[in-house]
Amino acid sequence: MRTLLAILVAAVVTGSLEASRQAEGPAGAPPSLRFAVIGDNGTGERPQYEVGEQMASARGRFPFEFVIMLGDNMYGRQRPADFVDKFEQPYAPLLKAGVLFYAALGNHDDPTNRFYAGFNMGGERYYTFVRKHVRFFVFDTNMMDPAQLRWIGQTLARARESWKICYFHHPLYSSGGRHGSDIELRVALEPLMLEHGVHVAFSGHEHVYERTHPQKGITYFVEGSSGKLRRGDITRTDLTAASFDEDRTFMLVGITGDELSFQTISRAGRVVDSGVIHRRPPT
Amino acid sequence: MRVHAVAHPPVGVPRTGVTGTRAIRFIVDRFLLLPIGAAVALMWANTAAVSYFTFAHALSFFVNQVAMAFFLALIAQEVLEAVMPGGALHNWRRWSMPLVAAAGGIAGAAAVYLAFVQLKYELVLMQAWPVACAIDIAAGYYVLKMILPRSGALPFLLVLAIATDAFGLIVVGLRPAAVGLHAGGVALFLGAVGLAALLRHWRVRAFWPYLVLCGVLSWWGLYVAGIHPALALMPIVPFLPHEPRKLDLFSDPPDDDAVHHYEHEWNGLVQVVLFLFGLVNAGVLLSGYDTGTWAVLAAALVGRPLGILAAIALALALGLHLPRRIGWRQLTVIALATSSGFTFALFFATSVVPMGPVLAQIKIGALSTVAGALLAVGTAWLLGVGSARTHRNP
Repeated sequence: MRTLLAILVAAVVTGSLEASRQAEGPAGAPPSLRFAVIGDNGTGERPQYEVGEQMASARGRFPFEFVIMLGDNMYGRQRPADFVDKFEQPYAPLLKAGVLFYAALGNHDDPTNRFYAGFNMGGERYYTFVRKHVRFFVFDTNMMDPAQLRWIGQTLARARESWKICYFHHPLYSSGGRHGSDIELRVALEPLMLEHGVHVAFSGHEHVYERTHPQKGITYFVEGSSGKLRRGDITRTDLTAASFDEDRTFMLVGITGDELSFQTISRAGRVVDSGVIHRRPPT
Repeated sequence: MRVHAVAHPPVGVPRTGVTGTRAIRFIVDRFLLLPIGAAVALMWANTAAVSYFTFAHALSFFVNQVAMAFFLALIAQEVLEAVMPGGALHNWRRWSMPLVAAAGGIAGAAAVYLAFVQLKYELVLMQAWPVACAIDIAAGYYVLKMILPRSGALPFLLVLAIATDAFGLIVVGLRPAAVGLHAGGVALFLGAVGLAALLRHWRVRAFWPYLVLCGVLSWWGLYVAGIHPALALMPIVPFLPHEPRKLDLFSDPPDDDAVHHYEHEWNGLVQVVLFLFGLVNAGVLLSGYDTGTWAVLAAALVGRPLGILAAIALALALGLHLPRRIGWRQLTVIALATSSGFTFALFFATSVVPMGPVLAQIKIGALSTVAGALLAVGTAWLLGVGSARTHRNP
């Protein structure tokens, strides 16, 4: 029964994403954007490779253009050989296909990894980039210094794209048992994100998957199980709209017009969450 | 050197005033307002986190960058007077061994911290190594005073702690200089020091001109230059009139010159500053503990004591001498009494690590080092050192 339900959900969401792809045709409509999301992935162990294989397989039916990485992109040693074992090999098919990865720094990442070409950080701890009608803001939440806070406020204020998506390592909202919500960061970041119309935020750190109910209009995703997993660590709270802590996961996201569709897929290829988020009208 | 107990009401508390109750005296005498502020902050942060962090963020710049200048000025004054001719530490033979011990403690703490962080592959924590070197002077002083009240151990510990924290202040204060100083700020700062020298030359004995003119100019100069502005009053203090004194940081000196007048005026203020410092900086979510917490704890409780003892062993082999009636058992207790980082560890942490989860885990480590006090007392009891010996073998 559970499997049947999952297949039904997957079919519906896949249909939705397919509809999004077809919807980019009409004149005047903004083109569709597709990307994948991984977090806490860089273990170099078998589960990470299996998630990589699932991502390559998913790209066959959902051709995402790039991947955002939510930090802890590398665990343990971070010598040149480790970049091969923990990044280049697990995602080799995607890298060969020209898929770009845009990383945020986590607490296990050597800060100098921002210079690694494969992470496309341009040597910066925090940065922004635009794809079609979506602007992404990447923060370094390890250390939220005043200069970064100023940059966040100014860059968010200047952004004119219709979608604003932030991602960073430490979750502002989380029902994870190990760390939970980082309230100090929330007090610093949330007012800026609300003031400047951020719609969605992604983070990792907790080795589980969770989607929150919109908090003051922003939906928060925790995707920290693309390599590491803390099985059974979620205690569902009022925050939780959906969660999964039984296996590794990654996400597929498609944005067309005012709709953001997402699927969260397990290492076994099972869709564990999916849905559509509608963009709030600008205030 | 005789280290004496406070014989009269602490400065800032009227001798016959309504506030001069025993409880308040006890709290103020022992610099307990800071741990009280820290305890309030911890409870507040873990019960109403949003309101706490909103409050703490609003006050942190004022407390950490401005108000702490008064606390550091008092520390500078104490040290300066102790090393003046006639002061307790003027003779280098009195501070050579504690200085060697301080160097060993710094090396031991930093080595253990960095090794721990490397072992756990969390290189983002590396920059917080000065936190591991901090010693809470007041905590060490009162722990040792309880164990060895009338021996050379107290001045030994004070010199060791002051030298260690002075090293930390230099590292923390000058760290931004590594990425370049703003020339205009440096010029302002030098102007402030020059003006203080002129005031001294003109024999100005009131401290207000030094504070209002030189202090403000120095603060602004350091701020613009990119150096920690809480250090602003420390270079001004040497130009205030001084007199030699015994190294008893927590006693009330006679009110006979401008410096002591300044100390009287500011001691009450500094107590409030320390309370606010604890309140603003010690509030952390206890769930935020992580690798940095254990690294700071290991450095303070293991690395520093071992470094101190190893350095002393080396110095003895090279011909330096220990104070009389201080042996290895006493040294072990002294080394453990330096474990608590608390005030200076929090100050260094907020100075070298910006707000965020890294700072939170380091702060939890800094707060946890108070366990070192228990370790020192327990070890003294086990080794039969000082007053513990009396209690153990009445």
